[in-house]
Amino acid sequence: MTEMPLPFAAVLFPGGVFALVLGLCLKGLDRRIAARLQRRVGPPLAQPFFDLIKLARKDSLVPKAAPRLLFLTLPLAGTSTAALAVALLPIGGVYAPPAALGDLLVLLYLLAVPAITLMLAGSASASPFGAIGFSREMAMVLAYEGPLLMVIAAVAVFVGRAEGQTVTFSLTEIVAWQQAHGPLIGEPALWPALLAYLAFYPANLGMVPFDIPEAEPEVLDGPLLEYSGPALGLFELMSATKAVVVLGLGIALFCPLAPADPATALVIHLLKYAVLTALGVSVVRTAMGRMRIDQAFRFFLKGPLWLALASLLLVLGRMG
Amino acid sequence: MGFLKVLLNNLMKGPATEAFPFGPPPAAPHYRGRVAFDPASCTGCGMCELVCPGGAIRIDRDAAGLQLTIWHNTCVFCGLCAHYCLSKAIRQTDDWHLAHPQAEKFHLVERGRVSMIPCVGCGKPILPLSDEVMRLAFKGRTTEIERLRRLCPDCRRIASIREMRHAHRSLV
Amino acid sequence: MTLFAHLAGRSPWLYRINAGSCNGCDVELATTACIPRYDVERLGCRYCGSPRHADIVLVTGPLTIRVKDKALHLWAEVPDPKVTVAVGVCPISGGVFRESYAIAGPLDRFIPVDVNVPGCPPRPQAIIEGIAKAIEIWAQRL
Repeated sequence: MTEMPLPFAAVLFPGGVFALVLGLCLKGLDRRIAARLQRRVGPPLAQPFFDLIKLARKDSLVPKAAPRLLFLTLPLAGTSTAALAVALLPIGGVYAPPAALGDLLVLLYLLAVPAITLMLAGSASASPFGAIGFSREMAMVLAYEGPLLMVIAAVAVFVGRAEGQTVTFSLTEIVAWQQAHGPLIGEPALWPALLAYLAFYPANLGMVPFDIPEAEPEVLDGPLLEYSGPALGLFELMSATKAVVVLGLGIALFCPLAPADPATALVIHLLKYAVLTALGVSVVRTAMGRMRIDQAFRFFLKGPLWLALASLLLVLGRMG
Repeated sequence: MGFLKVLLNNLMKGPATEAFPFGPPPAAPHYRGRVAFDPASCTGCGMCELVCPGGAIRIDRDAAGLQLTIWHNTCVFCGLCAHYCLSKAIRQTDDWHLAHPQAEKFHLVERGRVSMIPCVGCGKPILPLSDEVMRLAFKGRTTEIERLRRLCPDCRRIASIREMRHAHRSLV
Repeated sequence: MTLFAHLAGRSPWLYRINAGSCNGCDVELATTACIPRYDVERLGCRYCGSPRHADIVLVTGPLTIRVKDKALHLWAEVPDPKVTVAVGVCPISGGVFRESYAIAGPLDRFIPVDVNVPGCPPRPQAIIEGIAKAIEIWAQRL
């Protein structure tokens, strides 16, 4: 593993530009695979790039009642946060984030920022649909943040105790431990946590069955209703990059294994992303329908929350 | 888990998409598309103009004949005109390539002119009777019928009566 | 820059306005998007829920008096550059509702229409053909 200078890691690789491009590529792949699953041909793989170029050339309209500065800064804040968050994820065998950048807890905060920008965008757009999107997004965040916290706590405690500490929030340590002792995906005590994570990421990505805040036929894209042109392009970029963060966190927490050779390791890492996108995003969103907000909320309270809690208790009990 | 089977099936079968915008467009049999008009078989009865729900057909009559205009931009492809057209002068083709830029909006018309011909008897202008109508009206075509065909209704009446009187006399 | 313009032209997002349509044309529009046989996504199209995101506006219906102001308002919400397509004979000429007291149309009396797709309703392939024509016009405006 090579240590990279912090600005490079945050702006070029693996955060920043690399994350944005990877996000768009994965989105193109997802649209293509989803089309194939529906027996369609689907758009070209580079379609998200075309969309982005197009949006950059369109008018940007701001509603009269909206606070102009906030309205236009929000997408920028969301996208840059998501792109920065990727720099916090270690890539097994290739990259370890500089310690100065922060650990799992910082990542947790960064993960919440895109959701918050989306909420603020909804309320800043001065549209009733935006307001509904805002409240729905808020409910979703309340529903999925709890399970996520406990999943992360379970993994942190497991690795921490295995290393003789109480808990470790350093993703680098978690990945290094798995490189030495095998992936956490093979750990029965963490299986419930894994299941909870599998429920969490579609909610965070705002995809079917949890695309309730941005449901097109219901609330006309909710928070994004009033956005147009470059600002909307940034939001598209944000949602694509968020997928890189959330899938990357899943890889880092549960299956970061990679060979020592950096080039092969990177290829394998990208392959993992592709497979996760195909199975975890395209298949899920093609096979399922949208839940109602109350159903989704109840689902998270009944299922993932208890699973994650069970995992945490198992880890605490087994090692305590 | 039935949906997984469906998805896998879909993946295996491959896309069911038509090639159309990039390949040849398929045309269904008996497709009701753009209306075509053949002035040679028109009898000028005006039924098409009467039954057209969209008002897409207009017939202008003047001394020299009649002009039939069909504006495709208000035609609903119901097929009533073709159904009621006795002599099959109006029929529907399987052409559906009607999308056009705004500049061509009022050029998307089908026009046909039926010219009067002079009556052989008195020289009054009459609409010609098409072969199709003759075929529908008469089983066989004698020279008698062919002669009547080129007469105006008045001359035809006189000619018919003359024929009948001639026949009656020869019988008596 | 021309390369960017060319690439941008491959991402036309569609938005449909129902200006008093009988829903026949809307069903055909949904068909072009949802049924694998026609798959309009191949052209890079996507139906979007908000007029703010749209590039190509598909208008169906004869623009009834009641819906006229709302439909025109909605059309004005679409950011430039945009292309307007009249789908079905109703917005083009009024169709079977032509000269009715309840109709304010045809559409080009109020907004500049670029492409017409006649039919009642037009078949999905015809709509795709119209969209392809609209994309050509739109790529030039971009």
